[in-house]
Amino acid sequence: MARLLRVSAVNLALGYVFLSICVLTLFATPLWYAWRESIEEGRAALIEDDARRLADVFQTQGAQGLAAAIDAQVGRRLAGGQIILFADASLSRLAGNLPSWPPGVPESPGPHNLSIDLGGSSMQTVLMRSFLPGGYNLLVGRDVARFRTLEAFFWYGLAGAAGIVLLVGVLGGLLVRRALLSEVQGISQTASAIVKGNLSQRLPTPGGADEFDMLAQTLNRMLDQIEHLIHGVRNVSNAIAHDLRTPLAELRSRLEELSLTHPSPEETFAEVDAAVADVDRVLGIFNALLRLAEIDTGARYSGFVQVDVAKVASEAAEFYQPVAELKGVRLSFESSGELTVAGDPLLLAQAIGNLIDNALKYARENGTITVEVVQQQPDGVIGIAVSDDGPGIPDEEKPKVTERFYRGDASRGTPGAGLGLSLVAAVAKLHGGSLQLRDNHPGLRATLILVPGIGPGGGPLAVAAGASFAGG
Amino acid sequence: MKVLLVEDNERVASFVKKGLSEAGHTIDHADNGRDGMFLAASEPYDVVIMDRMLPGGIDGLSIIGALRTAGSKVPILILSALSDVDERIRGLKSGGDDYLVKPFAFGELLARIDALARRSQESPAETTLVLGDLSMDLLSRKVTRAGKGVVLQPREFKLLEYLMRHANQVVTRTMLLENVWDYHFDPQTNVIDVHVSRLRQKIDAGFERQLLRTIRNAGYMLSADG
Repeated sequence: MARLLRVSAVNLALGYVFLSICVLTLFATPLWYAWRESIEEGRAALIEDDARRLADVFQTQGAQGLAAAIDAQVGRRLAGGQIILFADASLSRLAGNLPSWPPGVPESPGPHNLSIDLGGSSMQTVLMRSFLPGGYNLLVGRDVARFRTLEAFFWYGLAGAAGIVLLVGVLGGLLVRRALLSEVQGISQTASAIVKGNLSQRLPTPGGADEFDMLAQTLNRMLDQIEHLIHGVRNVSNAIAHDLRTPLAELRSRLEELSLTHPSPEETFAEVDAAVADVDRVLGIFNALLRLAEIDTGARYSGFVQVDVAKVASEAAEFYQPVAELKGVRLSFESSGELTVAGDPLLLAQAIGNLIDNALKYARENGTITVEVVQQQPDGVIGIAVSDDGPGIPDEEKPKVTERFYRGDASRGTPGAGLGLSLVAAVAKLHGGSLQLRDNHPGLRATLILVPGIGPGGGPLAVAAGASFAGG
Repeated sequence: MKVLLVEDNERVASFVKKGLSEAGHTIDHADNGRDGMFLAASEPYDVVIMDRMLPGGIDGLSIIGALRTAGSKVPILILSALSDVDERIRGLKSGGDDYLVKPFAFGELLARIDALARRSQESPAETTLVLGDLSMDLLSRKVTRAGKGVVLQPREFKLLEYLMRHANQVVTRTMLLENVWDYHFDPQTNVIDVHVSRLRQKIDAGFERQLLRTIRNAGYMLSADG
């Protein structure tokens, strides 16, 4: 991982350097071209100007006058890079700073680039030949060696710029690499600790808002979820061992007794029926566990649609109404109209049903159960509160009742496997909400909190985790 | 009624076969996908009971898909150990008409295949359901017993409608839960029993002949010859 990153950081820096050099080249090429063009044009203009001036002298003062003028201007020295050679029809030198007519000068008009030999050393020149009346020849030109330095300066400048880009790029790459490595190493060390089994480790979050802090926060949330799941799995295995063993043990002894004692057919049938009931109990627990597992893994997003929770809750209340009446409990429903969230209607119905079922188990004779659906303003958090006037749950037990198979003291002697509230909590979590348990003085007020706008796939979980319901 | 059972588990198969024969049905049994496919495609059945995971290279859902593609309208009940809601939805989407999770109570299976076979014969355009002296007008939503009006809540009306559409048939609590309330979970408490006994109060109280009977270990039956 670290090696990979090292390579990737350097690659990144080198990539940038390469890109910068490409850009530099693209920038320099037209510049160079324009620069050359303007210099060459200027030079050609100078040469043509020289030639015209000397031709004028020839027109007015004749060959002698021109030779004298040239001698006066340059003599035999190659000074200032100016080249002038005046020759007769046989190309013999009459005046100028070249010793003889150089071979290979084209006859066509305009300046030409030509390398001429000056007694051993060669000189890069631009030359233009003019034909004067009377067969005289005039050669005017410039030594381009002077421009060579200019050209060299240009190239040095370009190379210097490229060098700076390279240096800054590599240095920057190394610095970025160091910064990245130190950040990533923190994450990777924590991850290694977690791999070794220490699930409570968390990444440091200095509280900044940069990408790494965001990554650390996301990873921490992921770790919370993993820890929660692992914890759940452990609890469940313990609980399964305990709670499934009990009915299975009953079933086993029932069947063994039958096979040992061979009782009368009527008794046998009664025992077999009881055995089937035992199995059904085990299956019920099993199904509840599977349901929970299905919800916990978050695999139920496929069932998400837009649901009116007020309608779901009112139907659930209506569903349990006859049971409440039978028990002499007043079950009332209140809502502030249609409240829509993205959710799984089946699971929401089951969760609300479980809350009502729970309240019915604990409500006093002739007591009251209220189901309320309220939306809290301005954050739009929806609370489905089921309140009863039963014994309630002591504060120290409240966090435990949503654990798998947990059964409080008050629930001894009532039917159930201790999975009802676990399911409600799991459904709430699936919907990005939570289950809140409060005292109803007397009794319990259980509120299923849902956060609208949290769609399948999680959404802003941080918001959801922090959501609380103040209503009622 | 002629029933095809495609199920590879011998024990489950013999349990179902025995139970269905006792209930007076004729059973063909295939213990692998290939035979099941062949039988389902070549013989006319009233109901097919199809396991999902089968040996023989073809699974239950593929057989159902093939039958439906071939235009077969035979009612199919899927029998499976896969209990996830998503699996149930997949099963029904593939062309199954009902989905029963293993392990199951035999009464549940029997009631469901009866309901399936009935559904395929029923004429949908009825506006009045009649059973003995009980009659239900689906348009005006009025119910009368021996000419006297019976006042029902909307949900009670739906419950009675379901029972009347499945008259003389055993209807299980799960079937009521799924079809009348559209709930797919076990409500733990005997809520359904309470609803049914309230309905019984309204339609049977004061009459000598009780229409709505409880069938032990199975569910309920609405019938005129009780």
